[in-house]
Amino acid sequence: MFTNLTKLDLKDKKCMSDAGSPKLCMKALPGEGAERSCAYDGARVVLMPITDAAHLVHGPIACAGNSWDNRGARSSGSQLFRRGLTTDIMENDVIYGGETKLKDSILEIAANHDPKAIFVYATCVSSLIGDDVEKICQEAETELTIPVIAVNCPGFLGDKNIGNRIAGEVLYDRVIGTGSGPSEKIPLSINLIGEYNIAGDLWGVLPDLKNLGIKLQTAITGDAKFEDLRSAHRASLNVLICSKSLTNLVRKMEIRYGIPFMEGSFYGIHDTSETLIKIAKALGDPDLLERTLVYVGKKEEETRKVIAGYKALLENKQAVLFTGGVKTWSMVSTLAELGINILAGGTQNSTPEDFQRMKELMDPSAQIIEDTSSAGFLKIIAEKKPDLIVAGGKTKYLAHKTRTPFLDINHGRKLPYAGYEGMITFAETLTRTVLSPVWGHLRRKFPPKEGEQVD
Amino acid sequence: MTNPTNANKTRHYEGNPQKNSPALGATLAYLGINGLLALLHGSQGCSSFIRLQLSRHYKEPIPLNSTALLEDSVIFGGWEHLKKGIEVAADKYKPQIIGVMSTGLTETYGDDMVSALSSLRSERPDLKELPIVLSSTPDYMGSMQEGYQRTVEALLTTLAGPSSKTLEPSGSKFNSTFNDVSVPSIALLPGCHLTPGDVDELKEIVMEFGFSPITIPDLSISLDGHAELEAAPVVQGGTLLEDFQRLSKCKACLSFGLSMETSGEILKRTHEIPHHNFPSITGLAASDEFVLTLAKLSSKPIPEKLLRQRSRLLDTLADYHDQLGSLKTAIALEMDLLYSLASCLVEVGAEISVALAASRAGIHKLSLPIPIEVGDLETLEERGGRSRLIIANSNGRQAAGVLKLPHLRAGLPVFDWVGYPQKCWIGYSGTQQFLFDTLNSLS
Ligand code: SF4
Repeated sequence: MFTNLTKLDLKDKKCMSDAGSPKLCMKALPGEGAERSCAYDGARVVLMPITDAAHLVHGPIACAGNSWDNRGARSSGSQLFRRGLTTDIMENDVIYGGETKLKDSILEIAANHDPKAIFVYATCVSSLIGDDVEKICQEAETELTIPVIAVNCPGFLGDKNIGNRIAGEVLYDRVIGTGSGPSEKIPLSINLIGEYNIAGDLWGVLPDLKNLGIKLQTAITGDAKFEDLRSAHRASLNVLICSKSLTNLVRKMEIRYGIPFMEGSFYGIHDTSETLIKIAKALGDPDLLERTLVYVGKKEEETRKVIAGYKALLENKQAVLFTGGVKTWSMVSTLAELGINILAGGTQNSTPEDFQRMKELMDPSAQIIEDTSSAGFLKIIAEKKPDLIVAGGKTKYLAHKTRTPFLDINHGRKLPYAGYEGMITFAETLTRTVLSPVWGHLRRKFPPKEGEQVD
Repeated sequence: MTNPTNANKTRHYEGNPQKNSPALGATLAYLGINGLLALLHGSQGCSSFIRLQLSRHYKEPIPLNSTALLEDSVIFGGWEHLKKGIEVAADKYKPQIIGVMSTGLTETYGDDMVSALSSLRSERPDLKELPIVLSSTPDYMGSMQEGYQRTVEALLTTLAGPSSKTLEPSGSKFNSTFNDVSVPSIALLPGCHLTPGDVDELKEIVMEFGFSPITIPDLSISLDGHAELEAAPVVQGGTLLEDFQRLSKCKACLSFGLSMETSGEILKRTHEIPHHNFPSITGLAASDEFVLTLAKLSSKPIPEKLLRQRSRLLDTLADYHDQLGSLKTAIALEMDLLYSLASCLVEVGAEISVALAASRAGIHKLSLPIPIEVGDLETLEERGGRSRLIIANSNGRQAAGVLKLPHLRAGLPVFDWVGYPQKCWIGYSGTQQFLFDTLNSLS
């Protein structure tokens, strides 16, 4: 059972290799050392934060075993999503097929864990041995009272972005609009799409929305309950956070449900305000817009006052920005807000559009990192000798070997950076990192040369 | 699955797995070889997950490349990708050695790695001299321990044979190679249940007896988390390639963990040296056996330092015999570590309530007072209720939370307690430390 890629609308897009962006959708070369992960990873990033659903990975231990419960997505309710569930395909299943085992597993999980829905992820090996995950899910569903949803995302289909899109299709086809409740629009309500509540990011934004009288219908999918997602079509507006990889989802929702969409970001003061204003405008309520303008003005002033002390300490520091995720362009303006210069920037999983946007925001003298392998990263650090590195967790320990201050901005982090509150946390953490006394110790030569003082 | 030793007879799924993939074990073994570039033959997701998992455990960068298979290669086979991968890696990074491991994906469609390699070597004669190790580690067979074991075996079969070509010493300052011929060498084969801290201690003990150890693989000088290293995409530190050629001069080979027994036998056969396997070196009796073997091999008395450590351990046993005796522990770990820690606890009077191994390897050869079963952490949660302590990797935190029990972290991954890779739980003083850590985790 190979996935029909043309159906998924993935392969028809031409690469944007012009205009100075690296060939982002270029296939990774074997042995080259690029780190783009796989489609299954992309799908789980989008779907696994759904808190009260069970997520069953139909594959050998490589897919789920090395990765379950390893993201910082947080839940205010059910913790079921954190459970690592896999059919753990063994040699016998490879020979005889794993469909029976899959069906049994689905039924058992439904009985043992009482999920609101079960997502079943097809992976490389299960696809290769020809298991029909779709069919098994349908069969199981007839015996259960909950949706059993196949996610056809074998890793060999491509990188994380492709997996994100597959997940978007699944949400659109199988989740959104499937509830039994009313379906009329809720005024002043929005969905935040691509917000996964990493380290509680979503909770940093909720107070602002609440203060303005904007209702969050659901995040897709941070801290989301399955029922809320089903009525996501009742929102008046879709706000796509930081990422293009779920664009297919919002486009389709616009067509079917008439929900307009806009892009936004809650990283940094500037982007947070701009996004809130854009939301108010898009919701078309003059009163709300007026409230929002006053509100963001006040919030900006408050926040700037608090971070002024940090800014004084960080001003004119030179940074290298390197993300594995999709927040790169948003991070550019966040760092600029703190007076930090970007010497070089690179990103691994962004779409060409994201990438162009980042390029426009950066100083023209800033270098684009083309070689995103570890070796390329080290070369840049050696050349640029930055004061700090802002990057995803993957690069963290490599960065430490260069004895350069490092801040993790991806899913490995423990602190929320979104919204005005998040900006303060971010400035505080960054300052602590840059000014930490440990870097001095790391850089001091020991033992000192004859005649030198030990300081 | 009708496996009599499987604890979750009523379940077909794995809930909260404690297993890691065999390819992760392979990566770990490769990470102990200096100048090696590890290349996973599979899709990029597998290598990404392995890097992340090892990275959050060791707090170290993990150099691992992949052949980046995509759908087309899945349909037509990944043979060409493997050749290309080795070529690109060799040309771009100039490693001293390349270590390849397969995955479920490539094993399912039966990629022949051996023939891919020989075809590449005939196309690229300049790569003929580059040592390339091939390890078969399908994801659907076993756990980390099996992948590690197979890879050490592959390393030894490929590199430890009688070789015509002598390698130039690469003289890395991080490797304590003794070139003094008057010091007898001894080969050490540590299993993946030993931390870099354990391996360090292992070498120390052996040196106490006047031996110069050759350790394969040597994680104690590659993944020990030292800042002295410049970062690079190949392994820095670890066993030197030329050390493999000194193996024939070793006086004996000692292997640690039952999973390393076959590797030891390979050396025994190849170089006609005696081999001793130690399923555990945690605990009093296990340490005694180890130390006595070294004394016999070296014809030296047991060093005063070790006797002192032994006497301290005895004192600890006396001081805490009651706390230890009232312990009731549920353990879920990879087999060799499970056996090492559980047998040590049994030896001091503690009770093991549940013993769950990650996979079946060795399950019929090693024994505890209760049967060892294969099980996941959901089983631990279901069955650990009447215990006072849980010993499992960090993923056991959900079980510990549900059962409201203290949870001593061990195994891999340990990401939420600091310093695990530097921990030492072997030998007399390591055993003492293990008992301390166990008792302290109760309070
Ligand atoms: S690449 Fe395939 S086998 Fe590897 S983790 Fe992704 S889905 Fe699983």
